[in-house]
Amino acid sequence: MPFDSRRLQGPEDSQSPLLFCAPAAPRALLDGRGKRADGRAPDELRASFARAGLLSQAKGSAYVEAKNTKVLCAVHGPREVLRREDFSMSGRLYCDFRVAPFAGARRCEARPPGGDEREAALAVVQALEAAVRLHRYPKAQIDVFVTVLEDDGGALGAAVTAASLALADAGIEMYDLAVGCSARQAGAVLLLDPSAAEEYGRYGEPARGPSVQAEQHGGLTVALLPSLDQVSGLVCQGEWDEQVLRQAVREAVDGAQRLYPLLQQCLLRAVRRSVRAPEAPPAGPPAGPPGDAGSDAGIPPGESEP
Amino acid sequence: MAALLMLSEAEKAFIVHGVQDGVRGDGRGCEDFRVVELETEVVSNTSGSARLRLGQTDVLVGVKAELGSPRLDCPDEGYLEFFVDCTTSSANATPEFEGRGGEDLSLEISSALQRSFAHAGCLDLRSLCILPRQQCWVLYVDVLLLEYGGNVFDAASIAVKAALFNTRIPTVHVSEDEEGVREIELSDDPYDCVRLEVARVPCIVTLSKIGQRHVVDASLEETCCCRASLMVSVTAAGAITGLRKAGPGSLHPDSVCHMIETGKRVGVSLHKALDAVLQHEESQGTKREKVGFLG
Repeated sequence: MPFDSRRLQGPEDSQSPLLFCAPAAPRALLDGRGKRADGRAPDELRASFARAGLLSQAKGSAYVEAKNTKVLCAVHGPREVLRREDFSMSGRLYCDFRVAPFAGARRCEARPPGGDEREAALAVVQALEAAVRLHRYPKAQIDVFVTVLEDDGGALGAAVTAASLALADAGIEMYDLAVGCSARQAGAVLLLDPSAAEEYGRYGEPARGPSVQAEQHGGLTVALLPSLDQVSGLVCQGEWDEQVLRQAVREAVDGAQRLYPLLQQCLLRAVRRSVRAPEAPPAGPPAGPPGDAGSDAGIPPGESEP
Repeated sequence: MAALLMLSEAEKAFIVHGVQDGVRGDGRGCEDFRVVELETEVVSNTSGSARLRLGQTDVLVGVKAELGSPRLDCPDEGYLEFFVDCTTSSANATPEFEGRGGEDLSLEISSALQRSFAHAGCLDLRSLCILPRQQCWVLYVDVLLLEYGGNVFDAASIAVKAALFNTRIPTVHVSEDEEGVREIELSDDPYDCVRLEVARVPCIVTLSKIGQRHVVDASLEETCCCRASLMVSVTAAGAITGLRKAGPGSLHPDSVCHMIETGKRVGVSLHKALDAVLQHEESQGTKREKVGFLG
């Protein structure tokens, strides 16, 4: 690994102590009563929290939490594209996907985003492109910055959800929200919204044991536009039977549908907050469009304190 | 990548209406591939290589086996690395790939391959291990895109399977002297080599949604009319080892299910045809005249 002069120099190479643990005994994903390790039913989502408009500097922002998975997203723009070469009548979405070095069980290097992160960024862009009315922003670029603060499974799905909330919060025109949801299958078991321990091939999961290999394994993430009933993003890996995969897609779509009301409420709250924020709003249309929701506290520019 | 070719609205309407009636520009049905030309062992310095021409798309794959140290989390296995080059040498594929233009595409192809190969039983990686925790074989799979004529994902994955089938890894003998120091000795007999078992290696089938129907192996013109496509990785046995939606459009959940179904069906017959071709080429042995780039 070459020396990076832009960072403080640490040890050249270090390994997580978790690598030297004795491998955990293979554990069933479901216990005798059909419950998971955290007490959920197989088709139960994690308790989620979503909030839009928490950053003041970004045009739109959102924070999504599903138990231990925490994702933050900020939207800037639309701004003019400086490079003249690619003229297009429709706008462009740019996504920067970063996983914090402390997000996973093992530390990931803080360096310019590598293959995995860039691939996740592409997946987020593809999931959002169908939702955003890009033809309303000719020659413009909308920047979406996703930061995964903690990854306990389902980070890509949460990133899509957070990004579409942040876009809506920024007042970008959209057809619908894109809601992400993931599923995991092992043999006959299908788990919705898996945690990191349940997710395929993650550390701590005995994914390579002989008994586990005999079964079919796989993970899947779906991005859904709930009110249009359209799948805008779909990524899956592992080994699936065709029938099971179709079933899993339906389950994940159903999971995303169930998440939708939460996001609607969250946006509604963000708008209410931004409307209430300036004391005693003047008569007429109360405050600006939801696009101004980014400034949570304080007065919109141009209005002076009475 | 839709900007590679510009079509007018009328041309698009023509193609969409054609697909609607089950007719395509080059006379294929909705589940037909274009003619595939495949040749293995085209580059002599590699452990295995293949060149594939699918319509206008031209892909060259080289596999190099090198000795390396195993990954810490799977000490008793070798591993595969995929590198896809659409940037420098393939600027001749299309000028848009010059500089950083092809970077996104190369990343997408390599991660699609990585994802399809990630499942446990794909290749017997344990047979690539020489000394656990110390030495293993690393297979570097380099994909070179020579010409871009649509559907590069399928072309790349088929060529990768052919190149892996063609791969010959020299046999290794581990000897131990009195002090317990182990030494690795490579066999220098070119016929004393290990072949890879490729029966469970997947191929990608890309299904493009055009209008209300989906087609297999979209040409460049059809790619322009397609808003969303689904890449399905299928093994010869019909298991699905990866799925990815591409393109700016969206799909109805029902059509996703239909596309998975079609993908499996097409994938299984694709594998059957590919295996027959590879066996045929193999049976000809040294008598086969290598055409290479002179064809």
